[in-house]
Amino acid sequence: MDTAVTTLDPITVEVIGAALSSIVEETGEALIRASYSTNIKERRDCSTALFDIAGNTLCQAEHIPIHLGSFIGIVPHILKLHDVAAMQPGDVFVGNDAYAGGGTHLPDIVLAEPIFVDGRIVAWTVNLAHHSDFADRGHQHIYQEGLRIPPVRLYRAGELQKDVLDLILLNCQVPRERLSDLRAQMAANRVGVQRFQALCRKYGTGVVLGAGAALLDYAERKMRAGIAAIPDGTWVFEDVFESTEVTTHLPLKVTVTVAGDAMSLHFDSPRQLRAGLNMTYTALLATAYYVVKSVVDPTILPNAGLARPLTITAPAGTVLNCTHPAAVNGRVQTCQRVSDLILGALAQAVPERVTACSNSVCTVATFIGQRKGDGPIWVYLETMGGGGGARATKDGLDGVHVHVTNTSNLPVEALETEYPLTLLRYELVEGSGGAGTFRGGMGLRRVYRADEDCRVRVDVSRLTSQSWGLLGGGPGGHGAVECGPGVVFERDNAELKAGQWFAIVSPGAGGYGPPAARSPAALARDLAEGTISAATAREVYRHTA
Amino acid sequence: MARWRVGVDSGGTFTDVCLFDEDDGRVEVWKVSSTPDDPSRGIAQGVEEGMRRVAPEATQPGAPITYFGHGTTVATNALIQHRGVKTGLVTTDGFRDLLEIGRQKRPDLYDMQADKPPTLVPRDLRFQVAERVRHDGRIDLALDEDAVRAAARALKAAEVKAIAVSFLYGFIRPEHEARAVAILREEMPEVFISAGHEIAPEFREFERLSTVVLNAYLGPVMRRYIERLTPRLRDLGMTATPHLTQSNGGVIGFGTAAAMPVRAVLSGPSTGVVGAQAIGELAGFPDLITFDMGGTSTDVALLNGGQCKLASEATVHGYPIKAPMLDIHTVGAGGGSIAYIDGGGLLKVGPRSCGADPGPVCYGRGNSEPATTDANVVLQTLNPEYLLAGRMKIDQSLAKASIAGMAERLGLGVMETAQGIISVVTANMARAIRVISIQRGYDPRDYTLMAFGGAGPLHAARLAIELDMKRVLVPRNPGILCAMGLLLTDLRADFAATRLMPATEASVTDVAAAFEGLVARAEEWFAHEEIAEGDRALTRTADIRYAGQNYELPVALPPGPVTAETIAALAAGFTESHRQRYGFIAEEEPIQLVTLRLEATGRVAKAKLASHPDAGLDATGAIIGKRDVWFPEAGGFVATPIYSRDALHPGNRFVGPAIVEQMDTTTVVLPGMTARVDSYLNLILEVAA
Repeated sequence: MDTAVTTLDPITVEVIGAALSSIVEETGEALIRASYSTNIKERRDCSTALFDIAGNTLCQAEHIPIHLGSFIGIVPHILKLHDVAAMQPGDVFVGNDAYAGGGTHLPDIVLAEPIFVDGRIVAWTVNLAHHSDFADRGHQHIYQEGLRIPPVRLYRAGELQKDVLDLILLNCQVPRERLSDLRAQMAANRVGVQRFQALCRKYGTGVVLGAGAALLDYAERKMRAGIAAIPDGTWVFEDVFESTEVTTHLPLKVTVTVAGDAMSLHFDSPRQLRAGLNMTYTALLATAYYVVKSVVDPTILPNAGLARPLTITAPAGTVLNCTHPAAVNGRVQTCQRVSDLILGALAQAVPERVTACSNSVCTVATFIGQRKGDGPIWVYLETMGGGGGARATKDGLDGVHVHVTNTSNLPVEALETEYPLTLLRYELVEGSGGAGTFRGGMGLRRVYRADEDCRVRVDVSRLTSQSWGLLGGGPGGHGAVECGPGVVFERDNAELKAGQWFAIVSPGAGGYGPPAARSPAALARDLAEGTISAATAREVYRHTA
Repeated sequence: MARWRVGVDSGGTFTDVCLFDEDDGRVEVWKVSSTPDDPSRGIAQGVEEGMRRVAPEATQPGAPITYFGHGTTVATNALIQHRGVKTGLVTTDGFRDLLEIGRQKRPDLYDMQADKPPTLVPRDLRFQVAERVRHDGRIDLALDEDAVRAAARALKAAEVKAIAVSFLYGFIRPEHEARAVAILREEMPEVFISAGHEIAPEFREFERLSTVVLNAYLGPVMRRYIERLTPRLRDLGMTATPHLTQSNGGVIGFGTAAAMPVRAVLSGPSTGVVGAQAIGELAGFPDLITFDMGGTSTDVALLNGGQCKLASEATVHGYPIKAPMLDIHTVGAGGGSIAYIDGGGLLKVGPRSCGADPGPVCYGRGNSEPATTDANVVLQTLNPEYLLAGRMKIDQSLAKASIAGMAERLGLGVMETAQGIISVVTANMARAIRVISIQRGYDPRDYTLMAFGGAGPLHAARLAIELDMKRVLVPRNPGILCAMGLLLTDLRADFAATRLMPATEASVTDVAAAFEGLVARAEEWFAHEEIAEGDRALTRTADIRYAGQNYELPVALPPGPVTAETIAALAAGFTESHRQRYGFIAEEEPIQLVTLRLEATGRVAKAKLASHPDAGLDATGAIIGKRDVWFPEAGGFVATPIYSRDALHPGNRFVGPAIVEQMDTTTVVLPGMTARVDSYLNLILEVAA
């Protein structure tokens, strides 16, 4: 058997690296195409990756950066809980737990399958789907948030373990979708296994594994070169987090130190809370990897090599590095704020590379209801983009997913066909982009009408704080919840009667540079398009025309 | 009288004409400069000159033409350069920002500096009107006709030239869209209007909206083009119905093309792929990467086993388009791309192009910024005195002077700067090929590089070295391969009907009726194209999924009338296909028919490429001269033999450095490469191992 790890020419490494990317993209496509739930088939809230036998990420598909946090723990946990020698081709492990499974929150169910070549495990194909389930639960601690699944076999040597499946499905509110999406995840892993085996047949297993290792080294080299180009120093940045769930301002602080070709990031935050906003350490890692790669060099391959020059620390038991049994369902809100926190620190070193604060959250609405006549329960989850932070030379992007999320919206025509909801309006929020030489991106407003009775739970942030501008730029608009007549909104949820409406507004982003320096042509366009008001033009931008 | 089939490929720089004698299989080619201000002029001139050469006996040059096929880059170029018309939008109240929001995804996952492509209708020209159709076809809210009329007047005042109309669920119940179109027409009869239910009657409102807006934005450009071309061809005495290639490689009539320009954004490039496919198959190289480098842009595609992937939807220059198209990647750089020094002091080439007029500096028509062609003229890889086999005089000293100016700013020599321009172009092209090969998991080293377009063979050898590819195939007439592709393809039209139905016996009548409707449309098309009964072929497929999925798998219908057995066979075919593709089936889930498709093919006589007998290894008879050509590989100017492509015969073999000249292109053979001519007169370059 060819297992010798050889020194490889750069073209072979590049070709295999691109082949690994294409495998994870293709497995992702299979997952999306075979799935049933709107959250996967249209919103693409899923990710795929390949790992080496030590659990290092070989390649992650360009889907959702935060999902890396739910991936990086699973292979080590499997190896801890199960005997490798007893594993067989066709074994598939399922897991989701934040503490015993390496996950970041329970709806992200991960399927991991060892890839065998010549009777030996050579790599792992792993995929994650955000199952839109475990809705309308409590978030005081993780036991309220859904079923905890440590990595266990869902398939043994290709044979479905029906007992395990039945146990999982009984704990889900929409079992038909869960079953179908789990099957789609199986389909995706099958593609991953076949393609990786074919790659090994073509180049030889030793060459493929050698290229995999070389690619990690390459990512590390590029990361180190990028960090070395940032001036040495220590930068501190602080912001607050508040949301519909926790309305008091929680102070968050990062200390970034650049020394030569290495970077350390230390995070301080309050003690973990009885709320869903806590982040596991893997969620913090995934967030920091994303931001630093984006600033240092967006083209660095998304593999484990890029993490080597980074040291990431936070006291255990705090909001940004929580421990059992903290609830974690809403961790993505906090991850988004942490992303901007790191940008705020790096802005002091390399202001031209970063953006002003984006909408800094992942606005979420989860609707849950039961079809008439004791029919099945339905759950509809959507996340909303908002403003993208203004850049050093141009405006921020309007109404986009930023940082660690990047899901697609569900087409209105799919939303209304599948659920008893009507979308009345879907628009940019005028005036919500922070003022500046370059304007912050605008937030979004979505107005829903319930066509049957249902409940809605939201995560909306920047209700009382605002996304910061840079170098004289102004802050972005607030997030908000708007209720139609008769709707009573309590803390973070409301009951909707058929015919009632309810709206969510996502925050705008911060501007970059002093507003008075904005070009008259850009201002004229803002006014014609109605993105800022005449009063703002006059009073904030000192526009005289 | 002889009967001629004519293919015309109109690019940004040259217009190529390929003429095929139906009776004796003779193929002739002709090439003229394009006339970008009105491309129809160049086309008519090319057809007239070409026909007069091959059929001097005809009283009217167009009279012997029995078939006219045409590929054009008019729509592509207007899209790349954002030179469509001022366009307005009328849409459902509450959704005017959808065009800008898209699917909320950002343009690049990691690059925070990345931007979305410009929104083609600014916010102040996007009007929303109260109306609401539901997914089940109910009308919740009647159309506010006064609001449509007010929008029409505002759009008229803004002097838009086109309007897109796209409402939620317009593809399910089109009355509101149709009524809005009628009102807009009353107010603005001369404006080009596109409606969602006509252009892309499919689910997913953003992608449909994007397609409709693009169609409107490009509509007047394409319409003006066709309105000018049609009478010019008629004036030549041509009576044959003119055809245009769509993005999927199939062919449609001019009328449809004028109404649906969005289906022709890849018209030009797709004909090249069809031509490459036919020639690759004959030459025995079905695994190809096509490299079609013209004056303004370059298209690359990958053919595996002779097949190029067909997508039902793609993103073209950043805009989603719902229309079937071949998987072709385009970059805005070609022989006419202008070289410049950017703000950071680096040498860049393109995407700005000098086009055919004024053309490169060496044309002496007033341009002073050097183009890629000027670099080749200075390096003498291109003939420094004449282009187009002596038909076009050029001035090398002008090219040299302009590159010298640039060299001074860079602190380099003139020759190094000219070679630098070629290196930058080669790197750009290699990146484009990586997108369609390496990034999709295909190793370019397993493929043959087929170089065509006027500038492809000039740059192919260096590109092959850059990508470590071993073989380059230069077809006999590389400059007109796209035009020739038009004569190597059957006529094809696709008809489809979206009808959600269970895949059970209960649907037999509906499926049969839907296919009857599609067949009737196909028969009409056959009659219109005057295709004989015996040359007609129909293929029926159904797109099927489990109810609840949003992506379908295509399944072919068994022959014969639609019966309960047909439906059972479809369900079984779907189950098998699903198992193969995804490794599982869902026995408890209902199976759903989504879209029924009919592909109509009209077989036509195709140009026959003849095989020629072996004439031996000796190629010296084809040497027409020698000139100094700059090869940095060999340390500078090298006295290089110039071969005439027309005088090369099958079996001939020679070693580089060499230059092969022919009317429509120039091929560079690098030092150490071997070149041989195959029995179809293709030139095959091989890199020494």
